[in-house]
Amino acid sequence: MILTIFLKELKDTLRDRRTIMMMVVIPILIFPLILNVFIGISSSFEKDAANKTITIGVIGEKNGFISNTLSKTPEQLGKCKIKFYADSASLIKDLQIDSIQMGIYSSKTFEASLIEKKPTPIICYFNGTDIGIKSRAEKYISYIEEKALNKRFKELKLEPSKVKPIVPLYVNIASDKEMLGKIAGGILPYIFIAFGFIGCMYPAIDLFTGEKERGTIETLLTTPISRLQILFGKMGVVVLSGLLASSFALIGLFLSIEMMDVIKNEQLLNVVHSIMTIRFILTLFLLLIPLTIFFAGLMIPIAVYAKTFKEAQSIITPLNIVVVLPAMIGFFPGIELNLSTACIPVINVVLSTKELIAGTLNLNYLLISFLVMGFLALISVFISYKQFGKESNILT
Amino acid sequence: MIQVSELRKEFKLNKKQRQELQTKEKTTTAVNHISFKCEPGRVFSLLGPNGAGKTTILRMLATIFAPTKGEITICNLNAKTNAAEIRNKIGFLTGSTGLYSRLTPHELIQYFAALYKVPNNIFNKRAENLYSLLDMHDFKHKRIGKLSTGMKQKVSICRTMIHDPEVVIFDEPTSGLDVITAENIIALIRDCKSQGKTVIFSSHIMSEVDLLCDDIAIIHKGMLLFNDTMDSFRKQMTSKNLTAEFIQIIENS
Repeated sequence: MILTIFLKELKDTLRDRRTIMMMVVIPILIFPLILNVFIGISSSFEKDAANKTITIGVIGEKNGFISNTLSKTPEQLGKCKIKFYADSASLIKDLQIDSIQMGIYSSKTFEASLIEKKPTPIICYFNGTDIGIKSRAEKYISYIEEKALNKRFKELKLEPSKVKPIVPLYVNIASDKEMLGKIAGGILPYIFIAFGFIGCMYPAIDLFTGEKERGTIETLLTTPISRLQILFGKMGVVVLSGLLASSFALIGLFLSIEMMDVIKNEQLLNVVHSIMTIRFILTLFLLLIPLTIFFAGLMIPIAVYAKTFKEAQSIITPLNIVVVLPAMIGFFPGIELNLSTACIPVINVVLSTKELIAGTLNLNYLLISFLVMGFLALISVFISYKQFGKESNILT
Repeated sequence: MIQVSELRKEFKLNKKQRQELQTKEKTTTAVNHISFKCEPGRVFSLLGPNGAGKTTILRMLATIFAPTKGEITICNLNAKTNAAEIRNKIGFLTGSTGLYSRLTPHELIQYFAALYKVPNNIFNKRAENLYSLLDMHDFKHKRIGKLSTGMKQKVSICRTMIHDPEVVIFDEPTSGLDVITAENIIALIRDCKSQGKTVIFSSHIMSEVDLLCDDIAIIHKGMLLFNDTMDSFRKQMTSKNLTAEFIQIIENS
């Protein structure tokens, strides 16, 4: 009987355009669309920034070391023009109105200090809101510093290698997979949690509040099936919708990676491919199933209680923020899956997924996370059953 | 057969409802001391103004609501202990019954037949008979959402009768329907009676009651004011017509 109800509700749900939009179309299209726009805009910005000729304001001598060095900068640092200023106030003013993009101030004693082989400061002005200008300014300053250093080595007749006794080498022992998991792994659980929630939302409201609103629940309750069977049949569809929405969102993300050249680094792309194993997908669903049941169990009592579609929507939508916000914890580095975090719902799923991607998942913590989510799912099903059984709730 | 004795139904009131009703009571009594009997092959009518408690009684008969007190026996089965078996024997139709608009009539009838565990071969025969009887062949595969009110009501009738119930409960079945559609319902009630089914229907339209019923119960504010045969009601009448008599009983209560 549960299967009969499940199949009927599934058919009914799949014929609802609004649910199909939320369950299939939006999840599968959102990432290709967002990434397409994002990559398009950012690559065009990068291109523009690299090709842009910037004007550097210089306070110092016209034939001095700084202006001479800047006029001979190699093309890979980007083209630049020099404009001389007498004081820093007018330079800053021009920087503010973007008539110049960076400024270099050297004191009047700069040239003399160079000759006397003394250290001398130079000040670099830039506008931090101008994206990419800081790194470009650093490149120019490093170039000037390198030229001054080489000049001094020559004058002192020194080999550069002889004044650098230690050559440090930094070795990262974390694998690329681990790095990807810990740094970017937060996005994956966020996606499936957010879409899992949205995927459950419309069918939950449609199958419970909608049934009340349309006046179909009364006839269903006069059939010989129990309310528990009705609840399970309907809940099955709500859970399946959540799982499908999450899965379609993940499919959308992976299609974007495969087809839109999102990851340019081939090594990184290989790491992404190596993550997508059967074991990974199965473990992900092991966490997703109790999570989606928990979501369904949260929404169904509300949907049963609400008298209209609007009322249900107005209660469930803020719940979205409460549930999905903890999923953002995955974006913060340094928060690890341990005994405490494994006991916190939603957060345990996020951190377990991150660890799963990184390949550092502790099976004990995975089990605890699964048990915690399973327990909460059971409680939420029980609450749904209690609410669905209330006479005051099931009929308007 | 339906037997009801000393039926009482209380509903809990929440804070908002208490404010609306301007009461401090935590419960409200919708139905009290209701007893009656409906015989097979006869049409029993529950008559009362809006809010009298008719729907509450019918929902208790259909085991949607549990009575606070009292006994309901349907087809010799106790409603408290044999709710599922009773639901298997009843058909329930209301004037405001909704249908699944994204399904076709055939899919909907098939779904309800499955819920009532009607075997496939019997379903096919019965569905075919009902489709012919109700002239549903032209629209049985169209989405319900695209059907007219009359067509939808035919689907509802078909849904009510697909498991061939022994007892048929109609809750204001013609409410809000046009004359032609209402006529289908009246024809169905007559058919049920001629087939020896127990029929109970609620209404506040006296002419409808006069046309169809054998036994009558008048209720007001949850209390039973009159319960006898239609013939006896007519004999006791002091007013010029049935509607006036009904109003007089209500006003005198």
